[in-house]
Amino acid sequence: MEWDYVAVVFVSSLGSASVLIIASLGLAVIFGMMGVINLAHGEFIMFGAYAALIGTRVGLPLPLAVVFATLVTALFGAIVERCIIRFLYGRLLDTLLATWGLSLALYQTAVLVFGSTTPGVGMPIHTVSIGRYTLSSYFLFLIGVAVVLLAVTYLIFTKTSYGIMARAAIQNREIASSIGIETGRINTITFALGAALAGLAGGLLLPAFPATPNMGLAFVTKAFLAVVVAGPVTLTGTVVAAGTLGTAASATASYLTTVLGDIFFFVATITLLRLFPKGISERWRLKL
Amino acid sequence: MAAQVIAGMGALERALKARQSIWWVAPIVCGALIALLATVLDEYLLYVATSWIVFGLLGLSLCLVWGKGGFLSLGQTAFYGLGGYVASVVAINFAPLTGNTLIWVLPVGAAVGAAVAALVGYFIFFGRLGPIQGTILTYTFTLVLWTGAIGLTIKVGDAVVGGDNGMTGIPELTLTFGEGAAPLAPFGMFLTVVAIAVIVFVTVSALLRTPFGLIVDGVRLNEVKTELLGYDIRFCQLVLFTVAGGIAGIAGSLFAGWATYINPTVFSFTEALLVPIYVLVGGRSSLVSGFVGAIAVGGLSFWLGGGVIGGQTTLALGIILILLVIFLPQGLVGLLATVWQFLAFKLASPRPGAPAPTTTGAQAQHGDDAMYTTSAPVADTGPVLETVGLTKAFGGVLAADNISLVFQRRKIFCLIGPNGAGKSTFLQVCMGLHKADSGTVRLEGTDITNWQPFARVRAGLGIKLQVAQIYEDLTIWQNLWLAAYSRTREHQAADEVVEAVLAVIGLGEKRSLPGSQLAHGEQQWLDIGMVLCLAPKVILLDEPTAGMTPEETRQTAQLVNELANNASVVVVEHDMEFVRTLNADITVLHHGAIFAQGRIDALRQDDRVLDIYLGRRKNVKGI
Repeated sequence: MEWDYVAVVFVSSLGSASVLIIASLGLAVIFGMMGVINLAHGEFIMFGAYAALIGTRVGLPLPLAVVFATLVTALFGAIVERCIIRFLYGRLLDTLLATWGLSLALYQTAVLVFGSTTPGVGMPIHTVSIGRYTLSSYFLFLIGVAVVLLAVTYLIFTKTSYGIMARAAIQNREIASSIGIETGRINTITFALGAALAGLAGGLLLPAFPATPNMGLAFVTKAFLAVVVAGPVTLTGTVVAAGTLGTAASATASYLTTVLGDIFFFVATITLLRLFPKGISERWRLKL
Repeated sequence: MAAQVIAGMGALERALKARQSIWWVAPIVCGALIALLATVLDEYLLYVATSWIVFGLLGLSLCLVWGKGGFLSLGQTAFYGLGGYVASVVAINFAPLTGNTLIWVLPVGAAVGAAVAALVGYFIFFGRLGPIQGTILTYTFTLVLWTGAIGLTIKVGDAVVGGDNGMTGIPELTLTFGEGAAPLAPFGMFLTVVAIAVIVFVTVSALLRTPFGLIVDGVRLNEVKTELLGYDIRFCQLVLFTVAGGIAGIAGSLFAGWATYINPTVFSFTEALLVPIYVLVGGRSSLVSGFVGAIAVGGLSFWLGGGVIGGQTTLALGIILILLVIFLPQGLVGLLATVWQFLAFKLASPRPGAPAPTTTGAQAQHGDDAMYTTSAPVADTGPVLETVGLTKAFGGVLAADNISLVFQRRKIFCLIGPNGAGKSTFLQVCMGLHKADSGTVRLEGTDITNWQPFARVRAGLGIKLQVAQIYEDLTIWQNLWLAAYSRTREHQAADEVVEAVLAVIGLGEKRSLPGSQLAHGEQQWLDIGMVLCLAPKVILLDEPTAGMTPEETRQTAQLVNELANNASVVVVEHDMEFVRTLNADITVLHHGAIFAQGRIDALRQDDRVLDIYLGRRKNVKGI
């Protein structure tokens, strides 16, 4: 086994892990800030991907199409929160079921509207070479994006007044509203923000993962597991879990098979949960 | 007219009572009626309807874990699919030997479903995962199987598992033996499946009518309390989950024999979604809801022209699920029950209500002695519970700081201190509800620091938490019986314990009321009564008089004094008058550490104690 092969596997695994981090962020924000697991998260990513695809079709350059996708998905998320989620706060398992129903409905709608396959937008063709191998620089770009997105999200929730109000609203709804925080509006914004992150993920990943109705599934299994194994420090915990498990799983997938990579991810998760029943971040001092 | 109606209601109620002992007749009659109905239906409808009954079984498995056990599993199709796959492999290889396929597929399906559920359940319940975490784990397990099954191509004997294409040529359900055994015709297959469904349903109902069923109710209604009664709730949940997995496996094996093919779509999220829809349409609180939902959904899509569910119905089902969750969380059965209760209330309101409240309280003198006659004789005096350097921090706050205390048998101890002094934390660490950071807890000399809470209860620790923990939906009698049964593990003995405790806490008149109808003070007594049923050697009482009138407080003091005839009683209290009447050794906690110890009169003279209680500057840390 040559050094360059190992390096390529490592870098591309890191790239896959970044993809997973980008895909998990919105889920982690909604779970961490609202206590709601959005089972339709994968379909929100799919929604963003189709929005970006339509954006490029009408002539927008890809970066603008991604922004367009982010905004449209955020709006969609706000509507979903107003029409469905807000009736279900405090009914944990019911939110799960409702978003699950939403996920199916969105999936089927996409099949009806777009058919089950659509052409992609083509990957930007810059490459970098490592030894005898070449690697699309798009994956390197995604590694950078993951880092930036994480930093921005973390700062929004720890440094802005909105973020502090949102954290207050989740810790104690009644006290928060009694000191004048509009918890209803905060929830809508948070859900929309989570949706926006999903839409952004869909747009960003579009060159590498063409829009298909079931594209969300490719990410959600691992994203859900990452959030579950993360524990109380949701955002950072999810990123650490998605980063390490994602890298390990895609390395496994490169040496063995994709299915074994998935199975490795699942087995690693339940093993970790047996060791840290409350999640890996149980004793961390971080806020989010 | 009204009188007749009331008389009619009375007769109906008597009839309902009588039905309690012959409950199993109803499902069998129901099955027979369905079989009778089948004689007039056409063959194609019968063939399709067979699958509804199979899906109903799958729904039943979710009813069991969700409706009864309170755990939402999105992975019942995983056990269903695995049961179906393995049973099919066995059927293909072994059916030619006997002709009959049922004797192969049913046990194999049940065993595979149960075994896999037990494995997954072990990680969920023994890991004590939160409800969301556990649910997501079941969902991702199904999705991983889906990906796995699509990629899996192997040959086992004559059976070929063909990845995405699945497995075909599975022998149809066959009842007769021998070489010329013919598969069942649609009518016969329908009857067979209905018969199996009735047998499974009656078996499950019978299981839930044992004390195990009441424990399952307890876990759903109040997990913490059930553990504090000494039940291993992890094991209880695991058993329920395993049984449900077995039922799902049976459903899977029947499906394979009905369809004669099976492919990875059994693990798909569309398939998984159907199960909670069945249960929600029916209403999760009733065991029949799986069948009601499966027949309703199946019948509707058949009527709409879809036959077996698929295609565009996915969209409709997704929307139906959302609407059900928002508007009809109790389902059809729940809706009917609500309407029924409403009507019954309307018609029956002139009848006398619940028995009038009588004087309650610790009336019976020394009634609690009866509790201890059955337990092994113990030494009269000497230390029973001991903590050494017990420390517990939450984040940066030291809630218990190096607490070493010794509690003697048959004596009362009081823990006092300002809010946030760490009194409740100390009790909860003793009980195992919080894990100690360092230090040791010993019960009768045995180190129990790392024991599970239920194990400490079985060893003789009992606790009443600050907020009274009772089962609001169970009757007073059931509340106490669940506690008594935990110790006696025997019907008759548990009944006797309950009677004795009812006499002590004085709630005998209200025995058949639900716990939610008791006043605050009475709920505290009920909670103490449940602790009493366990005949603990050490009784930890966290603010026993919260929410009580002065008279009730006086009676509680009397009760605590009586308890000390048999057990060591540790009381955390704010009410100084109450503490004074107990005339006990007192420990003052402050900032998680022992601050002062002594008798009440001495402490009342102690300026430092007064300072921390009144928040005066001197001696107050952190000001």
